[in-house]
Amino acid sequence: MLLELRVGNLSEALSGRQWDQPAIAQQFLCRVGYYHQHGMGPGDRVFVHFGNTLELFADLLAIWHLGGCAVPIDTRLTPFEIEILAKAAAPRFALQLGAMDSSVHNLLDGVGATVLDSRAAGESVAAPPLPPSGLILDGDALILFTSGSTGSPKGVVHTHRSLRAQWMTLRHSLGLDAYRRTLCLLPTHFGHGLICNCLFPWLSGQDLVLAPAGSVTAISNLGRLIDEHRITFMSSVPPIWRLALKTALPARNGTLQRVFCGSAPLSAHLWRQIRAWSGTPDVCNAYGITETASWLAGTTVGTIEPEDGLIGVPWGGVITIMKDATTDRPLADGEQCRSGEAGFVWVNTPALMRGYLGRDDLTARVVCQGWFATGDIGLVDDRGWLYLRGRERDEINRGGTKIYPADVESVVERFDGVEDVCCFALDDPLYGQALGMAVVLVRRDDDTLRALHAWMRQHLATFQLPSRSYVLDTIPRTSRGKLNRDTVAAACAALVPQELGPRSSGAA
Amino acid sequence: MSRSAHKQRLVEFLETIRRPEVPLDTFDERDGLVSSGLIDSLALLQIIDFLEAEYGMDFSTTGVDPDQISSIAEILDLIERQTA
Repeated sequence: MLLELRVGNLSEALSGRQWDQPAIAQQFLCRVGYYHQHGMGPGDRVFVHFGNTLELFADLLAIWHLGGCAVPIDTRLTPFEIEILAKAAAPRFALQLGAMDSSVHNLLDGVGATVLDSRAAGESVAAPPLPPSGLILDGDALILFTSGSTGSPKGVVHTHRSLRAQWMTLRHSLGLDAYRRTLCLLPTHFGHGLICNCLFPWLSGQDLVLAPAGSVTAISNLGRLIDEHRITFMSSVPPIWRLALKTALPARNGTLQRVFCGSAPLSAHLWRQIRAWSGTPDVCNAYGITETASWLAGTTVGTIEPEDGLIGVPWGGVITIMKDATTDRPLADGEQCRSGEAGFVWVNTPALMRGYLGRDDLTARVVCQGWFATGDIGLVDDRGWLYLRGRERDEINRGGTKIYPADVESVVERFDGVEDVCCFALDDPLYGQALGMAVVLVRRDDDTLRALHAWMRQHLATFQLPSRSYVLDTIPRTSRGKLNRDTVAAACAALVPQELGPRSSGAA
Repeated sequence: MSRSAHKQRLVEFLETIRRPEVPLDTFDERDGLVSSGLIDSLALLQIIDFLEAEYGMDFSTTGVDPDQISSIAEILDLIERQTA
């Protein structure tokens, strides 16, 4: 059997619920029997509509044992967005924990997915013998949607082989000792939280402590939680640390050995503050991408001096800096940057995704003979250390949550009263970046603004709604008719933002 | 400074950090700032920054209980305790 139950214990930091290894084995057996009875088998895609709970991890093991592929769904998405994902992924099953929104239930019915309750599965009577494992090494294990929830979804498909390669290389590069008691404050529907923060240590037999994603209660009690659960490792994102540094008293017992911070740029200043608060020098700016099963590189020693943009060395993969990011020809035919020269970051890792779900065209744009074009700009110095200098991708990083302008624009464009729209990045003191939107309306009146607002609320998750919106007469374009988001942002900078919500009163 | 004056300063500040889709003018003093959707949870940091800058509060040795800043009324109570 490819899947072994040498997992660690699980607990929930705030509720106090715990499953030790025998309880996890029991939950696994119950679920395998229950899902098997309901027809789950090899190749089935299974939407999972909850996260950061004990049940998720027993469900993952059961889905994988039966040969299925888990698709964690961001619980913040609107029914409109979930339907788009469901049409793209065609799940045969969807797992809920407790009540599910009736409109979501109906749309899942509409795409032929059977909705099952995870808790009922865990309370069912396990009936040995265990159904035979349907897991194959090159079978799909996990699909993580990174963008396109409003139109053309981009689902990153990882096989058991790529995930296993990731966990093995991390274990080789980082060891396991620091991960004995791991805390997860991150959402488990994306790579950083699920693949690396949770599954890497837990599937290696280390204990995992789960907190609700981004919970202020957990963050403001971080020191106490670290002491109470004897936490040795945690990973997080910069905004969580900014809040923790203000609200939480440090842990007292000195159990914390290693801290990772990732998914968004970590400044040298914040890096030093985290070191001081956590009491360990072993604080790492972890670089990862969903397509490479998240963590890819970082520093592994505490003696380095924090620097803006410093990542460190690759963990099990190879990083090279090229003068372009084209996949039209073999990488070897391209021109490599000199040491210290900034260029496009390419990586070669055994943990690379199989590809984007049903989008070979998109895969071909970023993968070339096993090399992956990350979309990041960076350099490698004489020591072989990677520094990031920016991103080439059209992406707004709101404190680790990625917002894709095209996702928002595709919704706004479909609104009848909109002639043109452009989304862009705004500087934000808390999140680093936030979403701005410039829009040209057919009629600039209150009714149109309110109707647009209602339309956006219906179709976009809250985190995708613009922080500031501007109504323009025209959106500046290049002479070739192309959008330059920086130019649009600059044009809006001097304007007063427009209220789109219920209080909107007259466009500028 | 009176409670109403403190409230006016606070509301002016909240106007700058609230979510654009949630209006503040229909908001009750006791409504949860996060639970009502007026701000997202991590924006509590900005309220803490505001209290430090405007009222000289120092949370570095005490930490912050999120319940103390969960509503306009709670924040005003905290200001009154700290400035008494």
